[in-house]
Amino acid sequence: MDSAIIGTWLAALLTLGIMSFLYKDNLYYKICEAIFIGISAGLWFITYFWDSLYRIAWIGVVHEGRYVLLGGVVLGVMMLMRLFGKIGWIARWPLAFIVGATAGLKMMVYFTTNAMAQIHGTVNDTMAAFGGSGLYDVVGRIVILIGTVTGLVYFYFSKEHKGLFGGVAKVGTWFLMITFGASFGYTVMSRMSLLLGRIDFLLTDWLKLVK
Amino acid sequence: MKRQIPMLILSAVGTLLVVSVFIPSARHWQEDASLYFDIIAVFAFFLGGGNLIRVHTEKVNRKSTGWIYSVVTLLGFGIMLVTGLFKIGNPNGIAGDLSQTGSYFQLLFQYVMSPLNSTMYALLAFYVASASYRAFRAKNTEATILLVAAFVILLGRTALGVLLTNWIPAQLSVLQIPNLAIWIMNAPNLAGQRAIMIGISLGVISMSLRLLLGIERSYLGGDN
Amino acid sequence: MLALLRIAKLVVFISSSLFVISLLPTHSVHSQDASPSGSNLGPITVRAHDTDNDAGGSVTVEWDDPGYEKMSGFAGFLIWRTNTLTGTSDSVEVTPFGTHSYDDRSVSDDSTYSYLVAALVNSERVMSAPSMQVRSAKQWFDSRLTWVLILGLIICGAVIYFIESAKRGTKLFLRRIAGLEAIDEAVGRATEMGRPILFVAGIQDMDDVQTIAGLTILGSIARTVAEYDTKINMPVRASLVMTAARETIKHAYVTAGRPDAYNDDMVHYVTDEQFGFVAAVDGIMVRERPAACFFLGAFFAESLIMAETGNSIGAIQVAGTAMPAQLPFFVAACDYTLIGEELFAASAYLSGEPRQLGSLKGADVGKAIAMIVILVGVIATTIASAWNSESMLWIENLLRKMFSTG
Repeated sequence: MDSAIIGTWLAALLTLGIMSFLYKDNLYYKICEAIFIGISAGLWFITYFWDSLYRIAWIGVVHEGRYVLLGGVVLGVMMLMRLFGKIGWIARWPLAFIVGATAGLKMMVYFTTNAMAQIHGTVNDTMAAFGGSGLYDVVGRIVILIGTVTGLVYFYFSKEHKGLFGGVAKVGTWFLMITFGASFGYTVMSRMSLLLGRIDFLLTDWLKLVK
Repeated sequence: MKRQIPMLILSAVGTLLVVSVFIPSARHWQEDASLYFDIIAVFAFFLGGGNLIRVHTEKVNRKSTGWIYSVVTLLGFGIMLVTGLFKIGNPNGIAGDLSQTGSYFQLLFQYVMSPLNSTMYALLAFYVASASYRAFRAKNTEATILLVAAFVILLGRTALGVLLTNWIPAQLSVLQIPNLAIWIMNAPNLAGQRAIMIGISLGVISMSLRLLLGIERSYLGGDN
Repeated sequence: MLALLRIAKLVVFISSSLFVISLLPTHSVHSQDASPSGSNLGPITVRAHDTDNDAGGSVTVEWDDPGYEKMSGFAGFLIWRTNTLTGTSDSVEVTPFGTHSYDDRSVSDDSTYSYLVAALVNSERVMSAPSMQVRSAKQWFDSRLTWVLILGLIICGAVIYFIESAKRGTKLFLRRIAGLEAIDEAVGRATEMGRPILFVAGIQDMDDVQTIAGLTILGSIARTVAEYDTKINMPVRASLVMTAARETIKHAYVTAGRPDAYNDDMVHYVTDEQFGFVAAVDGIMVRERPAACFFLGAFFAESLIMAETGNSIGAIQVAGTAMPAQLPFFVAACDYTLIGEELFAASAYLSGEPRQLGSLKGADVGKAIAMIVILVGVIATTIASAWNSESMLWIENLLRKMFSTG
């Protein structure tokens, strides 16, 4: 039999198996889940093996002479010491390296892209979005200003949300709710289209009911 | 000692990478750190994969509840390992590209992994519907605001939204649902997003400093 | 009569000479060849300098175009480089229409170079005079990031100041965060019901700061779990997270005086695949029916699947993430949600340690600075655009320059 036909039937059965979870947990779903975990874990191991271990470590060090990568290999081997109880504490060293690197790098990335760029945007893009002097533009700019500042007040930790400060924080909460509602409404349609995609596969590719 | 050296490594590496942002000739340290992470993650996978095999093998040996599924998991893992490591069915053999068309690895990806992934993703349609249903029962001001904003944005992207408010005169066109949706996205939504992101960045700075200064160290374990 | 004739011949000779001289083409110091036939364009002026804010090995070449781009048949500018030490010359690049600068990144810091730029018009090359000699060099500091450094030092300085202040015993007030107060209640509920708690530290690896935040919170929760003798189930998507989480929980059990109660299987690796992991977590939720679910870290689309499944089994759910796109789903489906910064503040809150709490106060200073800058900036921008006020324009430009990251 053609591998495409077998593959399509397999894909369809797996699709229905996962969808059966919506009814309740059952044998069919459990088998599909087990297949998913096993196949996906294997796939990722193979990807790591060829892409990271072979291409970066082996090719990089042995063939391209990038000996600096040996440091990564040494740290990686230290990681494996976790398997040996008495010297397992050595695995903390590569962990410390990763946490330190993450903390250092992300601190700057978040500062420049989240803090500075957003402040720059609030001052700058306010004019781009509402650059005119009509009522619509002025109101828009005022809303952005109020929303950003009151939202920041909501996140203030070292002052009790009471009195005037509490009132401002409350307004901030409302702006955050609008943000969440907007995100929610924005993604509903895209989620529906994912389901339509699977139904289309079942009806068109598998059962061939729709041409 | 078992904690002090990791703390020193953490502080030194973190500080060097912060400094590297400002020094042009040191920027490649960031890329090197990223490559180090990729390599360490591969070695760590031996621990994770080993844990997966051990847990499921123990379940099978003890005939615990659901041991049959553990057999399926182990089989799936093994099949993927063998087809991927030896590139079985690959037209160019072991020297060929891993996901070359026709290889068993690629077929398993196309007919097993991909449909499973897509279907799990598609389940979101049902879950978003159930979450929306719960949100409709708005019990307080905040939930009502969330609900109304979601509704306006949702309707603003549909023909129904146009139909519902196209009777509104041009002078008040901002109150027409599609225009209102655009205004909500550009004004209050943007403001909220900015406040969240600025807050997040300051939170990251605060937490990163706690890590670099050694104030936060629970993930490094104790002196045991 | 003869004298008059001689004077007339002299006048004719001088005037014809002057006429012939006027027909000769003029040469300037900076141009070498005439413009393409029929045009009167001036020379191309070339300037070359070391590229700013780089690690060396790059020269920036800039030139002024007197109008060759507008000519029909224009094909681009050819950049020609001469290594003045070795004497070798080669063409470097042909730049497209509209480009008047080029960064030559194939130079060595050990040599000096000189550049020519030629306009390619039909089949002709109109060469410029060579630029001054230039040598590339690395800069030790990227001056474009000066304000990033200054502002970063201010905020870090504030954080460190308040940490030190807290160490010296200054009392710091922190407002309630409902989600964090619910943690003890959730773990207690699980203990009473004899059911486990489920902890998911996000689906990203240890190179995501949210995962680290989740693990720091895990430390506090694990201490409570160890004290109450509750079961904890922590599936993970990344092997590194598994290793770090085991260290965290083991340390919590040891600190709680219950090292024997710790078991490595509390934390187990599932798969690196996003939705495979979610399928497994869903399975754990419906089969083991944890009484409390904690989702603290980085999540993507799967956030709603997990939160809704947790809802369906009646668990108390506390979520926290700094992914703005996923917050709405957690807010809609979970009992308590830590929004953005609250996730990073949580571990400090839960530890109650003064130094950690001090760092939160420092972050508040950052927020205050942000609020003031935004207020001043938007007001200045509005006034500058409405009334053309120069002083407001100056403030607006200064703020834009300060917060520009490029």
